[in-house]
Amino acid sequence: MSNTQSQEKQAEASQQPQQQKATVLEEDDEFEDFPVDDWSENETEQAAGSAANGNNVHLWEESWDDDDAAEDFSKQLKEELKKVEASH
Amino acid sequence: MSSGIPPWRASASTTTTTPVYPNYTTPAYIPVQARRSLTSPASNSTTPVSPQPTTATTDSNSRKPKRVEWPAPVRMYVQRSFAPEHQIPGVSREEMETKLKLVITEAAQSDRLDKIDWEKLPLPQIMVQNDKTRILANSEASTWGTPFPTQTPKHIPAGDEVTKKRKSAEYQTDSNGYPPWRQTNKTNAFEDRITYSPTDKRQRIDFKNSSSKSQANLEMRKKRFEEGRGMYGSSPSSRGASPTPAPTGPVVGRCQDLEKNYFRLTSAPNPDTVRPLPVLMKTLDLLKKKWKKDNNYTYICDQFKSLRQDLTVQHIKNEFTVSVYEIHARIALEKGDLGEYNQCQTQLRALYAQQLGGHPTEFKAYRVLYFIHTRNWTAMNDALADLTPADKQNHAVKHALDVRSALALGNYHRFFQLYLDTPNMGAYLMDMFVDRERLSALAAICKAYKPDVKIRFITEELGFESDEQSARFILDHISEEMLQERDGVVRLLTGGKAAQLFELSKTEAHRVVDIKGQI
Amino acid sequence: MSSILQDFEDGQRHGSGPRLALALTPVDTPQDPDRLKSFYSFSNSAQISASLRYYLCQTCGLKIPKQELNAWIDILSAYWKAVGEILQFNEFPSRASWVRVFDNWKEVANLLIRAYSNSGFENWTIPCLYVVGKYLRIFASKADAETSSQGSVAYLQDDASTDFGKDAKTEEAARVLNRMFTLCLNDRAPIDESRKWGVYYMTNLLFKTYFKINAVGLSKNLLRALSAQSKELPDLEDFPKSHIVTFKYFVGVIYFLDESYSEAEEHLAYAWRFCHKNAMKNKELILTYLVPCHLVTTHTLPSKKLLSHAPRLEALFRSLCDCIRKGDLHGFDAAMTAGEEEFVKRRIYLPLERGRDIALRNLFRKVFIAGGFEEAKDGQPPIRRTRIPVAEFVAALRIGTHADARTRIDIDEVECLLSNLIYKGLMKGYIARERGMIVLSKGGTAFPGTGV
Repeated sequence: MSNTQSQEKQAEASQQPQQQKATVLEEDDEFEDFPVDDWSENETEQAAGSAANGNNVHLWEESWDDDDAAEDFSKQLKEELKKVEASH
Repeated sequence: MSSGIPPWRASASTTTTTPVYPNYTTPAYIPVQARRSLTSPASNSTTPVSPQPTTATTDSNSRKPKRVEWPAPVRMYVQRSFAPEHQIPGVSREEMETKLKLVITEAAQSDRLDKIDWEKLPLPQIMVQNDKTRILANSEASTWGTPFPTQTPKHIPAGDEVTKKRKSAEYQTDSNGYPPWRQTNKTNAFEDRITYSPTDKRQRIDFKNSSSKSQANLEMRKKRFEEGRGMYGSSPSSRGASPTPAPTGPVVGRCQDLEKNYFRLTSAPNPDTVRPLPVLMKTLDLLKKKWKKDNNYTYICDQFKSLRQDLTVQHIKNEFTVSVYEIHARIALEKGDLGEYNQCQTQLRALYAQQLGGHPTEFKAYRVLYFIHTRNWTAMNDALADLTPADKQNHAVKHALDVRSALALGNYHRFFQLYLDTPNMGAYLMDMFVDRERLSALAAICKAYKPDVKIRFITEELGFESDEQSARFILDHISEEMLQERDGVVRLLTGGKAAQLFELSKTEAHRVVDIKGQI
Repeated sequence: MSSILQDFEDGQRHGSGPRLALALTPVDTPQDPDRLKSFYSFSNSAQISASLRYYLCQTCGLKIPKQELNAWIDILSAYWKAVGEILQFNEFPSRASWVRVFDNWKEVANLLIRAYSNSGFENWTIPCLYVVGKYLRIFASKADAETSSQGSVAYLQDDASTDFGKDAKTEEAARVLNRMFTLCLNDRAPIDESRKWGVYYMTNLLFKTYFKINAVGLSKNLLRALSAQSKELPDLEDFPKSHIVTFKYFVGVIYFLDESYSEAEEHLAYAWRFCHKNAMKNKELILTYLVPCHLVTTHTLPSKKLLSHAPRLEALFRSLCDCIRKGDLHGFDAAMTAGEEEFVKRRIYLPLERGRDIALRNLFRKVFIAGGFEEAKDGQPPIRRTRIPVAEFVAALRIGTHADARTRIDIDEVECLLSNLIYKGLMKGYIARERGMIVLSKGGTAFPGTGV
């Protein structure tokens, strides 16, 4: 009675037809059922991302920047300090 | 059968003559038996309560002379309860069994073993889970406060004695629409509603579920008292013969007494013991005076609960209702009874949603402070979501929000300024977590300042009343040599050692509340 | 012949779970717009069992063991009834009821569960469990919506627990799904034949259900049950990606809601990496939580490229991120206020708020940079000025918050903010209060990880 091909069955499940997505439910912020059960490595976001720009590092950026406005800020800071001193 | 399944489950599945419960002597049954003899003192031969099956006579060590033949549906029910596929993760076997025993024993006690639709009765693990769901979903409306369906049930299913254990929604819809007030339980009231631990939130939210022996005993005593007062039909025969007829709408009270002790409803409310609105209004005045005069919280809390109950059974929902809850909430706050406070708060949230007046912003502000204290961020998020733009302009609400954001960003300076300037009764709530936040601040200060800070600075920054008070607080957590006097000024030597000790104390203080805050 | 029965027959003949599950999928398809109707007209309520038996055994000649066959006939009969209720929505909309659809579907689910425990259904058929569970949840949701639209008056006028019964059917569905979960988790058969393969799918259905009824806490029970069995379960990688990505997403969100951001990040990052590249909606949801996690745990911001996956998020996060980067506290506060409703709704307000510390760090970092360098000593590389008067940070804060001339900024509060950044490791150094000085650490570590 036993079926030892479960791996195959699992894989086969990927063809599970979902084009007939339920017309009954539209929930706004719910994680959706994937239209396929399984997919290959190169269909993953990871693979797509690395194909596009080499690696995933560029997805995140430093939260600070050394812009050219450092001098502006320095000036601004001095003015503000003067104001503070003047008010004392 | 694999291990882990109790033998009685295995045997339960064989034939109809097999006992559901072979003769075991689980201590869990003892209090139940004892209780029964109290609840129906007139006769203890009506229904054998000990689940001793008829067929177990040969080897029985039964304490009861009479045995009961468990009906097949009951046995099937037990069997289903233990079936592996019906087990629910998160509901332990023990919890399930306790509930199962309760359900069956109560059914036996009330002579309803063959009246209950066991097929439709949810399994005990589901009941347990529902209780948990209710709690987790934070809809811990008090039992007596459950809403009344508009329609009148055509008949009261015989199983109601047992099923009314549940207060949760699915019972309502599980094919039989029992009105919730039919579900108040004759025997469920394990918890003594007056003597509770103010720190155990769950106990009060889920007061039907507690089953400690001492509580049960208290309840027994109370019940006996109740019966004496004729709160409900205590004759076993009348109870067994005809279920109390369902009233068709809200009760209209006739009682003229201003004071009334609180008892949980165990059957449809009797108009003779319910006070109509004009009387209740006088009651409130009386209670306010008594509170001022005697400051007897136990008495006041009890009286307020019966007041609330009378309002609920009469469907009175107006500004007066709001003020009853508000006043009770304030008194509970003052006495640091967070459990009772939280009950009122929950009710108030719903009442405010119906625009019945009162002081919504005052209590919305408390709510935010309350969730800071319990560190319940999910609930905090809900509390934030409840605020309208107009609310946010309100001084008290703004204050509470500022407190929250100051803490979120570690701005202890701002936090303690806000603490010293708390509107209404918010300080009662803030007092509960202010020490915890002082430890957080000290951990930061000790790490950031070098080589020392004056005690005066601590006193001022952390909202202490005096240098003595702050020194004492500091010494509770670190060793003496870290406070030193130099140039006539006491200083806290900051740095590694002190920072480490305060860090430990801080973690500890937050951990403790974590446990308490966890439902 | 009805394509439903055809699917069933094919599924049985070829031992194909997905095909069998297709038979139990209660919808019409574009290819077969009368799919349900033709199945329903296959028989009538008096004869459905007999008709099915005859059809499967005689017409198709399927050889199914007796007990299993009986179970299937029961399931298909119940399914047939449920389909009848669904069809009411086309035939007699006024008589149709999602509550009845749900109740009938629940019967299908119960029979199916029973068949697994008693009638020897094999594990290749578990896609049936998936589809039945999935629609159980869907129908419950429909039924609850129907009930609340009809009965809302009753709830409104009633006491405190105004949402009483609002999710009754969904809660009922949760219990059935829980049994399915247990059915999968506790299967002791050898792993190739085990229903354990269905465990994540069922977990996900339960997650969705618990989230819907705002009982997220119950999800943790599932995680506990899973981790207790973790040794018996196959590796995550061996499961279909749809199961795992969904699972990881929910686990991440559960940690997220607990403010356990590093655990949350780990799971969400996994979900992100293995998500199907075209699943836009799901990618957006993953990022909704992953971005705040990243902000809290690694103090990094999403790149334009990352947010290009999710235009709604771009709108939600962009100005916030810009203000953080620039150290613009005023802008940050304004962006938080502007987004507050949306942030609260998505439950990301609290972690995003912590971004203010980063903005503050950046502002103070500018003070450090503006301070320039000490006089270089005998050819040594120049060293930045590391002793900075608190007054300069006060001035910076005035700039950052757009304080006008009348606004007073409390020096003690500025010290407090500095102490916090030091405490949190965003700044290295100490406050010498009596000298009114901040002494920052030398050697490019004053603002760790930012190059100065």
